[in-house]
Amino acid sequence: MNIDWSIVIGFLPALLNGAKITLYITVTGLIGGIALGAVIGLMRAYGGYILNTLAFIYVEIIRGTPIVVQVMFLYFALPVLVDIRIDPMTTAILAIVINAGAYVAEIVRGAVLSISKGLTEAGRAIGLPRWKVVVYIVGPLAFRRLIPPLGNQCIVSLKDTSLFIVIGVGELTRTGQEIMAANFRAVEIWTAVAVFYLIMTGTLSLLLRIIEKRMRIL
Amino acid sequence: MSAIIEFKNVSKHFGQLKVLDKVDLDINRGEVVVLIGPSGSGKSTLLRCINGLEMITSGDLLVDGMSVKGGNKTLREIRQEAGMVFQQFNLFPQMTALENVAFGQRHVRKMGRKAADNSAQELLEKVGLGDKSKHYPHELSGGQQQRVAIARALAIKPKVMLFDEPTSALDPELKQEVLNVMQKLAEEQMTMVVVTHEMSFAKQVGTRLIFMEHGKIAVDANPVDVIDNPPNDRMKDFLRHV
Ligand SMILES: Nc1ncnc2c1ncn2[C@@H]1O[C@H](COP(=O)(O)OP(=O)(O)OP(=O)(O)O)[C@@H](O)[C@H]1O
Ligand SMILES: [Mg+2]
Repeated sequence: MNIDWSIVIGFLPALLNGAKITLYITVTGLIGGIALGAVIGLMRAYGGYILNTLAFIYVEIIRGTPIVVQVMFLYFALPVLVDIRIDPMTTAILAIVINAGAYVAEIVRGAVLSISKGLTEAGRAIGLPRWKVVVYIVGPLAFRRLIPPLGNQCIVSLKDTSLFIVIGVGELTRTGQEIMAANFRAVEIWTAVAVFYLIMTGTLSLLLRIIEKRMRIL
Repeated sequence: MSAIIEFKNVSKHFGQLKVLDKVDLDINRGEVVVLIGPSGSGKSTLLRCINGLEMITSGDLLVDGMSVKGGNKTLREIRQEAGMVFQQFNLFPQMTALENVAFGQRHVRKMGRKAADNSAQELLEKVGLGDKSKHYPHELSGGQQQRVAIARALAIKPKVMLFDEPTSALDPELKQEVLNVMQKLAEEQMTMVVVTHEMSFAKQVGTRLIFMEHGKIAVDANPVDVIDNPPNDRMKDFLRHV
């Protein structure tokens, strides 16, 4: 067995490009996922029977199926069903939006419901409209409790992008696979790929720590 | 004297449970009504119906002429007329004492920041906490938190103040500072409805005592008269245990 780390240098540009695509899918997907999750989560917490039930069904379907199945469904089943064909990149982003959205929804719902009912009542009792109670009182408090689980979900979603390999998106894992197929340098390449992931998730973790520290009041 | 709060045959159910049972009650301006009764008799519910935190099931309830059934906008107006103080204080933990008091003035009374801060500071001084304005709730004792909560309710310029066991969560030595603030309010002719177990407060400050039982008003009389001479055995029994 001869291991030669120097060969990795030659593949750095390709790996870097794969990492960029990974990051792009993660960031755009999470922006959409967090927005969607916030809406669904608020529907779960404040919606009437119908909104709440719709949101509940969505969350249960997504949480109850593997993300690979969701991707396959979007990419292969949707075109058959409704004649919509989307390219692999859009599918990947959409999959993150829909998947992260469900988990974020539960995070948002949990955070909102963890804020004591008494505070909401105190807000309403001084004559605030409901939306102001949510925006000014429950929101900021819930937000602090949201940060740790939300950060966790960001890391999970980042790693989930690796399975878009199944629809041929050229993200980091796929790039590693392609290089591998050409030169069979498994140890060097997969180590390099793992390090790239670690750098990205590590940066995210660090960022989280800093934000958490800043918001320590409560 | 005209009534500022009018219960007209008000009933309140939680599902099958009847908590208020055809209550008729007029409260006039300047009255200090003390509400007592066994646990579960509906005292909190009666109070919470006044500012619409609970919706009445039937009958009608008017606050300063406005019905609690008048929709969201009317309800918000009613809440500006009727301030509430809770047993658990419920101060906004992310805001300082001053911000807690100023918040309602800015967002409900639409006062500018500076004017709101000034009048919040005055209110804090009124409840004896002028030097605590920059403190967060968790940096204050229970008695201080409750006095901030009173200032917060007063900031909306209510015509009526509703108190739900304001001293029950406090250590005995902290109760008096809150009761003193309430007494001062009463002396300024504030209309007050107070659920409390403090019988000395009821006698000294109360102008009217209501004993509730099973969602009904069982006794409605002068506090001094009935506390010393309860008109029925159930009230006598209740008073022995507070
Ligand atoms: N939101 C609610 N849902 C269902 N039942 C309720 C609700 N709020 C109160 N109740 C019930 O209504 C009854 C009256 O409650 P309420 O809080 O008005 O009593 P209370 O006189 O204030 O009692 P306490 O002295 O214990 O505070 C109780 O049996 C209580 O369990
Ligand atoms: Mg009660």
